[in-house]
Amino acid sequence: MDKKIGVFVCHCGINIAQTVDVEALTKYASTLDDVVVSKDYKYMCSDQGSKLIKGSIRKHDLDGVVIACCSPRMHEHTFRNVVEDGGLNQFNLEIANVREQCSWAHESKEEATKKAKTLVRAAVAKTRMLESLTSSKIAVTPKALVIGGGIAGIQTSLDLANAGYQVSLVERSPSIGGRMAQLDKTFPTLDCSSCILTPKMMEVSNHPNIELLTYSEVIGVDGNIGNYTVKITKHPRYVDIEKCTGCGDCAAACRMKGRVPSKFDMNMGKRSAAYVPFPQAVPLKYTIDSEYCLFLTRGKCGDEPACKTACIQKAINFDQKAEEIERKYGAIIVATGYDLMDPASLYEYGYSHSADVITTLELERLISSSGPTSGEIIRPSDGNKPKSITFILCVGSRDETQYPWCCRIGCMSALKHVYLLREKVGEDVEINICYTDIRSYGKGYEEFYRKIRGIKSNFFRGRPSEVRNMRDHLKIDIFDTMTNKLFEIKTDMVVLVPALIPRLDANELTRTLHLSQSGDGFFLEAHPKLRPMDTFTDGTFLAGCCQGPKDIQDTVSQASGAASRAETILSKKELEIEPLIASVDEDLCSGCSICISICSFKAIELTEEKDGGSHAVVNEALCKGCGACVGSCPSGAMQQKGFKDKQLLPMVDESV
Amino acid sequence: MKKYALYPGCVMPTEQYAYELSIREVLPLLDVELVDTNGFSCCGEPMKSVNKMVTLYLAARNLAIGEKKEMDLFVPCPMCHFSLSECKHVLSNNNEMKERINGMLASENLAYNGTSEIVHTVDLLHDIVGIDEIKKHVKKSLKGLKLATHYGCHLIRPSEIGRPVDAENPQKMESILLALGAEPLYYPEKLDCCGAPILANLRESALTKTGQKLQRIQEQKFDAMVDVCPWCHKMFDSRQNKAGETVATKLEVPVLYLTQVLGIAFAVNKEKLGLNLNNSPVNKLNL
Repeated sequence: MDKKIGVFVCHCGINIAQTVDVEALTKYASTLDDVVVSKDYKYMCSDQGSKLIKGSIRKHDLDGVVIACCSPRMHEHTFRNVVEDGGLNQFNLEIANVREQCSWAHESKEEATKKAKTLVRAAVAKTRMLESLTSSKIAVTPKALVIGGGIAGIQTSLDLANAGYQVSLVERSPSIGGRMAQLDKTFPTLDCSSCILTPKMMEVSNHPNIELLTYSEVIGVDGNIGNYTVKITKHPRYVDIEKCTGCGDCAAACRMKGRVPSKFDMNMGKRSAAYVPFPQAVPLKYTIDSEYCLFLTRGKCGDEPACKTACIQKAINFDQKAEEIERKYGAIIVATGYDLMDPASLYEYGYSHSADVITTLELERLISSSGPTSGEIIRPSDGNKPKSITFILCVGSRDETQYPWCCRIGCMSALKHVYLLREKVGEDVEINICYTDIRSYGKGYEEFYRKIRGIKSNFFRGRPSEVRNMRDHLKIDIFDTMTNKLFEIKTDMVVLVPALIPRLDANELTRTLHLSQSGDGFFLEAHPKLRPMDTFTDGTFLAGCCQGPKDIQDTVSQASGAASRAETILSKKELEIEPLIASVDEDLCSGCSICISICSFKAIELTEEKDGGSHAVVNEALCKGCGACVGSCPSGAMQQKGFKDKQLLPMVDESV
Repeated sequence: MKKYALYPGCVMPTEQYAYELSIREVLPLLDVELVDTNGFSCCGEPMKSVNKMVTLYLAARNLAIGEKKEMDLFVPCPMCHFSLSECKHVLSNNNEMKERINGMLASENLAYNGTSEIVHTVDLLHDIVGIDEIKKHVKKSLKGLKLATHYGCHLIRPSEIGRPVDAENPQKMESILLALGAEPLYYPEKLDCCGAPILANLRESALTKTGQKLQRIQEQKFDAMVDVCPWCHKMFDSRQNKAGETVATKLEVPVLYLTQVLGIAFAVNKEKLGLNLNNSPVNKLNL
């Protein structure tokens, strides 16, 4: 029996209509076999447009719909709902993309119209062969995994936990807090960073819905949206966190006391091998650094390890081993943050051969009253108070030979430091800023910049060619492009603002979590504007700087956004699975198993038949509809629903 | 035995004899054979501001001669080395230009294919001969000799076309000098310009650059400066007095070619190294 097909042509305002003659296209469509109605409308995705489609389905008793409009990525779901509302199975719809693949790509109206006709003709040919399909359902595990305990991970975890969901927050280091915990004050409001962060950290630690897994790493992720199986390694702390009270007696007794460089203090200060990264750490439980602990590296620490003797709780346990746990989650939020470029790779800026060249994060620890110098600003080489401090912005950033992107926080963090330094060191210390452009784009940022320009400081617009180590001072030649003059700056300390880059192990994590990376190495969002927290892996979301450089404000907004995106999954008891997956024609299948070897999702199995033969069976819950098995099948027994040979080949016939 | 066609350029054989003499003395000791070849022309670089096509053609022509003789070129002048390197870079990325140039070369039965390599004194010594081999030939250690290296500009930039040493932190001369027992020390002015590129237009500014660099080397109590470029050497050595007058300082910095320093360490007769041709006070060194 022949199908009754309706063709609906959208003008998309002038997006399509300007380059494609939509009236001619509509008229042409009506001449095609089986097409019983053909209409055009200014915006087919509008309410009026959908009424037009639904009315036509009912009036003409259609059993197939072709819509010539934008990309299916944009509105296929919109129109599927319209078709379903009109009384048809939603899979009796075919989109002819006459916008992205036609009107936007071409200039000649005549040629574009000709191509649009071909696209519609092919879509009609496929529609003749479309079949009704039904979606299957899977149950959802109402728990979320948040990877990364910085401000992004903390915010996401709290939002989800407060909405009533169980959350596991996995953090690699011994404490949550991330980069924000290392900062002294935040721009442009100059809030004390720890003062606004610590309460959130405590809330995480006390929340009944949050399971905090610090000193732990995600090592494997299997499964799909709604039902992920995740393997997590808990590194040995060598301290029983049930018994540890955080008293610090172990650190005080440690024989390595004052000899281990503190990573949290950017190696500016020293600590013991038994440590908490910073006093406000959450959880406030000690960890023994296996890289430096005498007992762990040499097997001997006096007669008995000093920490063990000192601990009255008997919490020290050198027999602890790494522990692997497996959990199920419905959604995953990735919030793994960023790294700073190592400026040693830019030899000309002197970071590798002068102690007085430091980075912003190192200065952050110097300024902090809980830092290694208790907030006193000193020159690292001799411990004296510097008479002149010079900032160099965009070190490695906006540099095509290094990292072409803007770090988005460098200008504001340097301006903040100018303010804090002026407060700390007084009026007689010279402060110079070498900048490329000052980018103060956020709320209150430009006002903050103006305020700083009112403070005694010298701004040079340009990039220094070199920082010269003159032994008792540093010398910088800078060509100021505002005055067209070359300046020679003699200074005591140089603060580099290095590029903000993806985590050094981002590639590895990409594979573990089945993510994609953009060209710059940051995790790729599903759409830069409309799906900024989603990834191409359904059920996995992004928050914070792992997706791209961001300030704290934007990070927190995105973190809350990611939480609400995750809730759209966790709030459902079950999820509909797209039926556009592989299926086997059992009569044609010889059981050769090629498809089984090719399937990355382990979704195909072999079943014994009564007569002794065998055939492939697709597990619908596991199949992602990638089509690899279809292409590999030598007999044509494996077919992709919605994209079967009998549906695609007529399209080819009509197009070439 | 490594064999190279010696591409002499223009400055070395016409006035910087000391460089050529020391090269011809030292390299054979390190088992490098230098072959003199007929037919080389100007490297092209001096014509660049007037006619880039002529520059490319001349550079390609010299490379093509090397190819015809089936030899790699040893190019001791960094400016010539730069011109030939840039030509290789352009022709390997621009097929149309390569065909055009080859059309011009055809009249002399020459063709450029890019098969000949080019080396400079620094990479020949450091990468091809090697530090271990150099160490074997040291007869007289230069222990205690504080040396300031000067690489010049053409040898280090631009990185895109491939240069023998790193642009920001060149270290190959330092490694060679260390092998001789000398002390090549860091000084902040190491990458400063010799002044030569602006000599024709801004004579006083050029000599100021030359003078300031030598002045800083003198202040930091270096025993001598070591260079590898005949153009730079002309500024620091031949024009040292003039440069001193320009910056109002009595300059007395011995300036030597790297190959001269190697020759001294290999105990080669000083006259054979052309040390009597240096205008700077090399006798101060008492070597």
